[in-house]
Amino acid sequence: MARKSLLWKTGGLAGQGVMTTGLSMSKLATRSGAYVFDYAEYPSLVQGGHNTYEVLIQDTQPTASAWTLDCLVCLNEDTFNLHQHRLDEKSLLVYDPADFKPEDTVAIPLALPLKELLAELKANTIMVNTIALGASWALLSGNKTILETLITEQFERKGTEVVKQNSACALAGYDYVLKHFQKHMKNFPWKTDAPAQAVLTGNDAFSLGAAAADCKFYAAYPMTPASSVLSTLAAWQPQTEMIVRHAEDEVGVVSEALGASFAGVRSCVGTSGGGFALMTESLSYAGIAEIPLVLFLSQRPGPATGLPTWTEQGDLLFAAHAGHGDFPKIILAPGDQEEMVELTQTAFDLADIYQTPVIVMSDKFLSESHASVSLDSIERIVARVQNRGKNITETPENYLRYQVTDDGISPRLIPGVPGAFYQANSYEHSEDSHTTEDAEDRTNQAEKRARKLATFIENDYEPCAVYGDLEDAEIIFVSWGSTKGPVSMAREMLEMKTSHLHFSNVYPLDEEALKNFFKHDGEYVLVENNMTGQFGQLLRQQTGINIERKILKYDGRAFYPEEIVAAILQQQGEAS
Amino acid sequence: MTDASLDFAGFTPTWCGGCGNWGIGKAVEMALKKQNLTPDKIAMLFDIGCSGNMNDFINAYAMHTLHGRALATAVGVKIANHSLPVLVTGGDGALYGEGGNHFLHACRGNHDLTVIVHDNSVYGLTTGQVSPTAHKGHKSKSTPQGTIDRPVNPLLLALTQGATFIAQGFTAQLPQLAEMIEAGMEHKGLAIINVLQPCVTFNKVNTYAYYLKRIQKLDENYDPTDYHAALKIAHLPMEEKFPLGIIYKTDRPTYQDELPQLEAGPLVHQSPFTNAGELAKGWR
Repeated sequence: MARKSLLWKTGGLAGQGVMTTGLSMSKLATRSGAYVFDYAEYPSLVQGGHNTYEVLIQDTQPTASAWTLDCLVCLNEDTFNLHQHRLDEKSLLVYDPADFKPEDTVAIPLALPLKELLAELKANTIMVNTIALGASWALLSGNKTILETLITEQFERKGTEVVKQNSACALAGYDYVLKHFQKHMKNFPWKTDAPAQAVLTGNDAFSLGAAAADCKFYAAYPMTPASSVLSTLAAWQPQTEMIVRHAEDEVGVVSEALGASFAGVRSCVGTSGGGFALMTESLSYAGIAEIPLVLFLSQRPGPATGLPTWTEQGDLLFAAHAGHGDFPKIILAPGDQEEMVELTQTAFDLADIYQTPVIVMSDKFLSESHASVSLDSIERIVARVQNRGKNITETPENYLRYQVTDDGISPRLIPGVPGAFYQANSYEHSEDSHTTEDAEDRTNQAEKRARKLATFIENDYEPCAVYGDLEDAEIIFVSWGSTKGPVSMAREMLEMKTSHLHFSNVYPLDEEALKNFFKHDGEYVLVENNMTGQFGQLLRQQTGINIERKILKYDGRAFYPEEIVAAILQQQGEAS
Repeated sequence: MTDASLDFAGFTPTWCGGCGNWGIGKAVEMALKKQNLTPDKIAMLFDIGCSGNMNDFINAYAMHTLHGRALATAVGVKIANHSLPVLVTGGDGALYGEGGNHFLHACRGNHDLTVIVHDNSVYGLTTGQVSPTAHKGHKSKSTPQGTIDRPVNPLLLALTQGATFIAQGFTAQLPQLAEMIEAGMEHKGLAIINVLQPCVTFNKVNTYAYYLKRIQKLDENYDPTDYHAALKIAHLPMEEKFPLGIIYKTDRPTYQDELPQLEAGPLVHQSPFTNAGELAKGWR
């Protein structure tokens, strides 16, 4: 393939600054005209434990990480021991001879005396990562000025002395490589005139989408991997004027959001599986009382506390069936950062239009991985005009909050408008919102609510995205949410005709709209980051479509594209 | 619904004859009328229970929430539109039991809400199980041998957790109760009004006669701004003595006062945020 790429990785003890160094690498690369996807792993600990950060740098947008490392920078011996199986004879292995000496490695060992340089510079121990960053950047043939600018910007807030020390460290690493390892430096077609790009995580993307959608109230209780939405939105309050509440528990969180939404502002909550479980009773209230609500659900492997800092797509069936009783809900699962900005805004529109809960699903892999997105695209996406559905701010004659309508949607008067009143009633109610146990009222209201989903299918439902030629394909991948990226990269690697159906509207699913996508001769292969093929189950339940061939991963790690390729080749081998 | 007269009176209450809720319902209506409010000018949050069934008996912009969640939901309503007076109505089971955590944290935040607790020491709507304010030994359907737990002391709880207006009323003393609710609504900050409300059907212990023997009017010279005096008074229910009146009142900025976003007016009336593109520039 003509694609140019570099895969860089660093690892060290938690607290050694691995996360900062990694993000800096992503920014250096995008500022130099490349595109990135990065991925970090860390245990559920504040100090100690092994942290890693890998950045895939390409001349086109990467959508996942890759397997073979071009450069592994070890801040400790564990990094070498744990990741040496991803090195080949062209890989650069950077280590500090004061820490350890790599034995029996296929890679090219480069001894970088980190501790010695640190001592010469009389710098703080934490700055070892800055030396490593400088050295890494030189090994990737990066531009020195871009490095200096980034370091200055990054440490400006901490004063000139800190900037000076860090610059000295970064340059010491950079110059050491130029002096000693010039012949090992990797080439990359860096550009100087590239359009400006942001480097953002899925959680950043959700936060941006929420701000762009004019969400005015966000409540949450911290839970990995959703927590950074809370801190990002909280930090933005002076600009956005959004009110961000860290409430007492997830039940309080969702109740407050429903109160704020009832009062007329766009409202949202964010959590992971355990917190979402606590919110489900209120989800049901939003369903019957027809209160718009957006819920951000970033999955991690369960059950229970599970693997808090790792990834899985294990909550789809739970989300689809969450809440007691029958009521309409919509679930969106963006496949990447850009889609996340866009679909988050869609979620707020849909919540208003259909006056019901809309769940935006992510997982640790999407929530915490950064990807480059051009600022121009972001500008374009966030410029979208909102649709607030049948919200009204003037009292019509004989207003009925739960008026039975053909499309199932009743006009929603914003409370406080003079001349009227009504209840958002958690009991079954008549059209005028009073509690009722009347059989006819019950049937009418239940059917009215159900009609909203039919209207959604007709007006706003997006069946799935199609990549590649379905007619010709030997293999047709089926994915949802964050597995989109690894599947697209796997398709590029496979030397056979493939196609890809990606679902970001995951609930409800419409049989009529979908059956045409599943009538082709190629073999359909479901790719999911969970143990039981939950999307496959949902698809079968909702449409009768059954996908028998599956590639499933549930060890808490995301797919590497190479793993999908290997699974396909292995399955093909077994079949023939 | 629209109603030209915008009267507070909704459906005829379905409470049992003699139920203490009749008095509370009347007192709420009196307090609202006294303030020249109409149903379109307030938000009421009803919890689940006999008390919460007031949702159909008093007209207002209202939420009939889930059990235990009226107070937490009210926090969101008030933040989104602080120009609406917000009244929360629920039982002791809802507010001190199922929603106990929300109660603590609403006190801490001093949200500008008025909370009326219908305290009858039983779960009426589910036909008489023991509630958090029932005294030790109280026999009920769920505690046939008598409850082992000590009762929650709502007054002491509210006082120590930061509520800025704490009162106790008795449903049989209607004018005093109406005045108390009015004072609670006029107070800036979290007002907790615990109302002793006999359940004539399921509680044969905490009857009108029981309370009439044990209620205590506050001394004429009692100073409700004195925290330590209030602590002593708030402790009395532990000895089955029930002080009536405004037990504590202090001024502290409300949660809404401390939100700079609300200086420009109610959140719901603010113009949309349109500058999201700028935010992304921080990720370069």
